[in-house]
Amino acid sequence: MTELRDLARKLLAEGTVKAVLGYEEGPRGLRPVFVTRAEDADKLVFDARAVQNLVTWLNPRRPHVRRLGKLAVVVKACDARAAAGLIRESQVKRDDVVFLGVRCGGVGTDPMGPAGVTPDTVAPRCAACTSRVPTLADHLVGPELPAPPAREGADDWLARLDGRDHAERWAFWMGELERCVRCNACREVCPLCFCERCVQDKSQPQWIESSPHLRGNLSWHLTRALHLAGRCAGCDECSRACPVGIPLGLLNRAAARTVARRFDYVVSDDPGVPAPIGAFRHDDAEEFIR
Amino acid sequence: MSTTASITKSKLADLVARLVAGGARVIAPVRVPDARPEHRRGRVRYRPVTDGSTIVLDATGVPDASLKSVVFPPTEPLYSYAKKGREVELTAPPLVFQPTVVLAARPCDAAGLDILDHVMGWDLRDELWFGRRKATTVVALACTGPADRSCFCTAVGLGPDATRGSDALLVPENGGFAIEAVTEAGEALIRGNADLFGLSDVALAKSDPLPVTPTTATREQARRAVAANLAIDPEAIRAWLGTHFEDALWDPIALRCHGCGACASVCPTCHCFDVVDEPESLSTGTRRRNWDTCQAARFTLHASGHNPRGDQNARFRQRVMHKFEIYPQRFGPVLCTGCGRCSRACPGGQDLPEVLSAIQARVGGAA
Repeated sequence: MTELRDLARKLLAEGTVKAVLGYEEGPRGLRPVFVTRAEDADKLVFDARAVQNLVTWLNPRRPHVRRLGKLAVVVKACDARAAAGLIRESQVKRDDVVFLGVRCGGVGTDPMGPAGVTPDTVAPRCAACTSRVPTLADHLVGPELPAPPAREGADDWLARLDGRDHAERWAFWMGELERCVRCNACREVCPLCFCERCVQDKSQPQWIESSPHLRGNLSWHLTRALHLAGRCAGCDECSRACPVGIPLGLLNRAAARTVARRFDYVVSDDPGVPAPIGAFRHDDAEEFIR
Repeated sequence: MSTTASITKSKLADLVARLVAGGARVIAPVRVPDARPEHRRGRVRYRPVTDGSTIVLDATGVPDASLKSVVFPPTEPLYSYAKKGREVELTAPPLVFQPTVVLAARPCDAAGLDILDHVMGWDLRDELWFGRRKATTVVALACTGPADRSCFCTAVGLGPDATRGSDALLVPENGGFAIEAVTEAGEALIRGNADLFGLSDVALAKSDPLPVTPTTATREQARRAVAANLAIDPEAIRAWLGTHFEDALWDPIALRCHGCGACASVCPTCHCFDVVDEPESLSTGTRRRNWDTCQAARFTLHASGHNPRGDQNARFRQRVMHKFEIYPQRFGPVLCTGCGRCSRACPGGQDLPEVLSAIQARVGGAA
């Protein structure tokens, strides 16, 4: 923690950045904080409660954040994957942000949870995580931490769903999506949902019904999952933010699995590797075009 | 000085069965499963119930979302249309509403309904709102303490045993519940089921002022425990807001806010809606109203491209202004029941009590 605070203090004092976006102790556990004065660097905290993906705040369409000036942002390896996505898709210039990478041992799902991780509290997305040290980082801080404890992870869950027949899977998803009230929290917390105008908001013509009925909800969430295929960084903020508890991250995970199989592509924090959606390859399997 | 009436947990289940058999929809907090592995215990939500034994009766938790959807669904048809040549035929939905009884509502949620009556009956009487309101009897359950540090109902003039918006109030007592009628509808519910409420010849007293019952000390204790979470003077805050639309407070206020609207969706008093036309064929369709939120950038986006609330700081200011200045100025009550759900639902860690404290500090002196 001292290392992170000292670094933030130095970057602010020497004027390298105008603000450091990290985590602080809030009324309900850890939360994002924008530290703008070197003397406030001691607010910064990092532990297993640092569940939020701070990269979402790098979205260029957040003018109140942009006004602060150059940012340094604390990133876990998974967050760095989202940052690489923004760079890859020309939303953020690499040199406009200082990435403060933290070595991670897995986080929980609740910013109010314990500061360490146990099999009960570790996030399902952290199970079997192999990228716990960001490479997209200007600085790397924190001690090396052991791998997260084993638990039933998001992939196990997906495999369990795979084991059920089509009708059961359909019933499962309809039961989940029925609850959606279209608050759009999933979209707004998503680091890769940065469109100036979301397809869901288009009304002339209306491609996706904006009403929270099952038809509109299904149409919206499946469209979103497809738009994120090969782009989603797997931070699971959509699932966490959902006020009605829909496991939306699972849809993205399923899409990522298909992309890996079909395009031999896994989202990484290397912005130089083109994503399938934005690249043409002669060896792409094109059997779907007949 | 009598306890007005009382009911045991098993008789409450009998009441549910009787109401359902009589054709009523009964809504109550129940524990529902959550598919996410990290939420194995499930979550508490208001849901239609047919088996009263499933109702969550421990009076300390707060269901995930408020009660407002019972009266104001997330989406509802205003009318359907059919184009016939040059004519358009409109068909409004029938104004027929199923009798509904809400059991064990949180007092903060019940209060939200009453607070919203002002705006729903202001310039145009909203028949869908008032139709469901009239068909709904709300029996609240007094909280025995704050759910957590985010509860602040006492700071906005309510309390863990407030009766605003309730037709009757259950108060935990001796393993069962004392019940007080607040309105005639509440009294009718109790009298109509006198056998279940153990009524003999005990006169029903109106609860205003609250009758002194053996639970008074506990109720006072619960109020004090909630009050420890936040102390503000809403009137002083209203006055400050009225003269501080421009203030240094607002510049950075929503840096951590995503503008996601999760807060508005779970809020018992956020009531803004959007109206959309959904075509179902070339010549037919439905006009619906759907929940909306001032926290979304698109909410105030003009056709010209101009947005008078151009950033999230301005949008968050609007949320505070509407709740604590505009609404009380126009209608009296603040547009907040202190349920704390906005803080609990916020993925960015934004905290309304913290913001209110910051304003109170500018006003000077705690309430």
